[in-house]
Amino acid sequence: MRNPLCFFASRFPGEGPAFLARHRACCLRCQAAAARERSLRRALPGLADEVLVAPPGLQSGVLCRLGEQDAADPRRPLVVRAAARYAAAAGLVLATGLAFAAGLARRQSRALG
Amino acid sequence: MTPGEVQRAEEEVLDRARNGDREAFGDLVERYQDTVYTLAVRLVGPDLAADVAQEALLRAWRALPRFRGEAAFGTWLHRITVNTAWTLRKRARRHAVQPLEGDFEDGGLRPERAGELAEMRAGLGRALCALTPGQRAVVVLRDVYGWSNAETARELGITEVTAKVRLHRARLRLRTLLEGSR
Ligand SMILES: [Zn+2]
Repeated sequence: MRNPLCFFASRFPGEGPAFLARHRACCLRCQAAAARERSLRRALPGLADEVLVAPPGLQSGVLCRLGEQDAADPRRPLVVRAAARYAAAAGLVLATGLAFAAGLARRQSRALG
Repeated sequence: MTPGEVQRAEEEVLDRARNGDREAFGDLVERYQDTVYTLAVRLVGPDLAADVAQEALLRAWRALPRFRGEAAFGTWLHRITVNTAWTLRKRARRHAVQPLEGDFEDGGLRPERAGELAEMRAGLGRALCALTPGQRAVVVLRDVYGWSNAETARELGITEVTAKVRLHRARLRLRTLLEGSR
């Protein structure tokens, strides 16, 4: 059966409490697990050197769909950007409407006075 | 061409693309599409990777006038790719498929590495596919691409503590998966 200390030692990110550190220092099983973790961490960066070839239609697909450049934050989701644009447009419409109404009211009050 | 000349040539192409030159952007797409696609495959798997890569490159085009060169263009593009993959993750979840044998080899791996190393990396690639999207994103950015914990957390919109915990769980799961496949 697995030693519960080995289980907790593997679940704790980093050093963890002192009693786990002491356990790790003298447990062969935990040391073997740590060695496996080290070799995994050595192997993973190797994946970054491997470059997959993009599908043939990717470049032409992108170039066909180029719209206008708007210098918008590329990391803001499209929906948020669209909402911001609509909000700006709605604000403009509202401001124009208010200005128009104010003009009408002024003209009416002048006609009455 | 010396590395300096290559860099100057790229800056010139970038300048043109920033000013709306579509042909120049086409050159950049040609140069970077493989690395963008590879990152997308690592983050969301091969089924959705082409969509993510395309959307990321389109977002880059739209945003290019705001690119000031504080980071390398490739790094900037990678950040956009991570964000795009992340915002499309709901679609990724709908398209979730179990990884098949040879997924990565079929994806167009360049045959420059052979034998044991390639086999181990293919195994790693498959094991990565079996992680949850959240764990996979953290382990890919931290351990594969060497991003800092702060940068990873920021780009994924999670706290640094969450990023650390996810990384720990991801490594644990990877080890279990790799040991199980032996
Ligand atoms: Zn132990």
